Amino acid sequence: MPLFGVEQVPERQVADHPEGEAERGPDDAERRGAFLGFVAHEVRNPLSTALWSAELLGRITAEERGGARGEKLVAMCLRSIARVRQLVEDHLLCERLDAGEFPLRVEPVSAREAVGDAIERRPPDVGEIALDIVPDLLLGVDRALLVRALDALVAMAGRDGTAVRIAAEGAGDTVRLAVSGKAPEEGALEDPVKGTPSDPRGRALALPLARRIAATLGGALTAADGRYLLTLPLAKGGAALPRDVAHP
Amino acid sequence: MTSPLVLVVDDDPDILEAICDILDSESYRVARARNGAEALERVDAERPDVILLDLMMPVMDGVAFAKALRERPADRDVPILIISADGNPQRAASVNARGYLAKPFDIEALLSHVADICRPAEPRAGA
Repeated sequence: MPLFGVEQVPERQVADHPEGEAERGPDDAERRGAFLGFVAHEVRNPLSTALWSAELLGRITAEERGGARGEKLVAMCLRSIARVRQLVEDHLLCERLDAGEFPLRVEPVSAREAVGDAIERRPPDVGEIALDIVPDLLLGVDRALLVRALDALVAMAGRDGTAVRIAAEGAGDTVRLAVSGKAPEEGALEDPVKGTPSDPRGRALALPLARRIAATLGGALTAADGRYLLTLPLAKGGAALPRDVAHP
Repeated sequence: MTSPLVLVVDDDPDILEAICDILDSESYRVARARNGAEALERVDAERPDVILLDLMMPVMDGVAFAKALRERPADRDVPILIISADGNPQRAASVNARGYLAKPFDIEALLSHVADICRPAEPRAGA
């Protein structure tokens, strides 16, 4: 494999993780059923408000549609659809990762650039983001998945306008990314089940997704000291890109 | 004669807003609560004629709220209509509810259920 080359990982040759279909036993089936029940519950709420707001917009007069009620219903409809879209996207990726059906493209990825990409995706309710990233730090991961995991963690740490800090440093043959802000709740990294409070932004699957991505990339997601800690492999062959590549 | 007062209990702010909008447009009076504990306070303060109740909520869920309500002599007969995304109509029976609507339900189904519940209702003591 070239020093900084791209490694195509065949389907199903993803990291071992407990959600994998092949390893499922009765307990896993029960856990999976509970998880799918939660997903269905989360989708039905915004689906309801999308349908109702659209139907109400069709019922009211043109004058009402142009007024405050119309604006409120349009905003609710769009918000609800965006929420469904986020849930569906996160769920589909969870399912692909669980099934080992995500074709990984492992390559050296600049921590700074991946964090930058994730920050660009951040929702408007996330507060200020401070960075403390060791320069030229390279991970050996799938870039798209890393960005999705970071995006999920930023969304969770930045809830309710909380300021977020992202730190990254090398630790042996791994890279440790710490995302701090709104602290993880107890048991937050477990798969949610029916009865878990809803997330009105549609990010109810953010942590299950980030956890699956970490496992798929050969790392782990943990919570400690009020922070999310994403530990992932360092790029093989070195920790630094040439300066002109790292900072074009 | 005042219109019936409907207390809507749901932790999802958009669900609350949408259902209250639907009921308000049909001339019902509405009150809202984000969880079971808030709903008990609203029952004391507003004396609703019917309660639309979500089941899965933080702080105090719908089942716990319904049980607490049924233990209060002055409120044990307030009709409850379950509105839930859990897809389990048997939950309605477990809390002695008057009906169950699975989200996403039709607006007309909601209005029909609420009208049926309110139609024979006599004014509540203390209302």
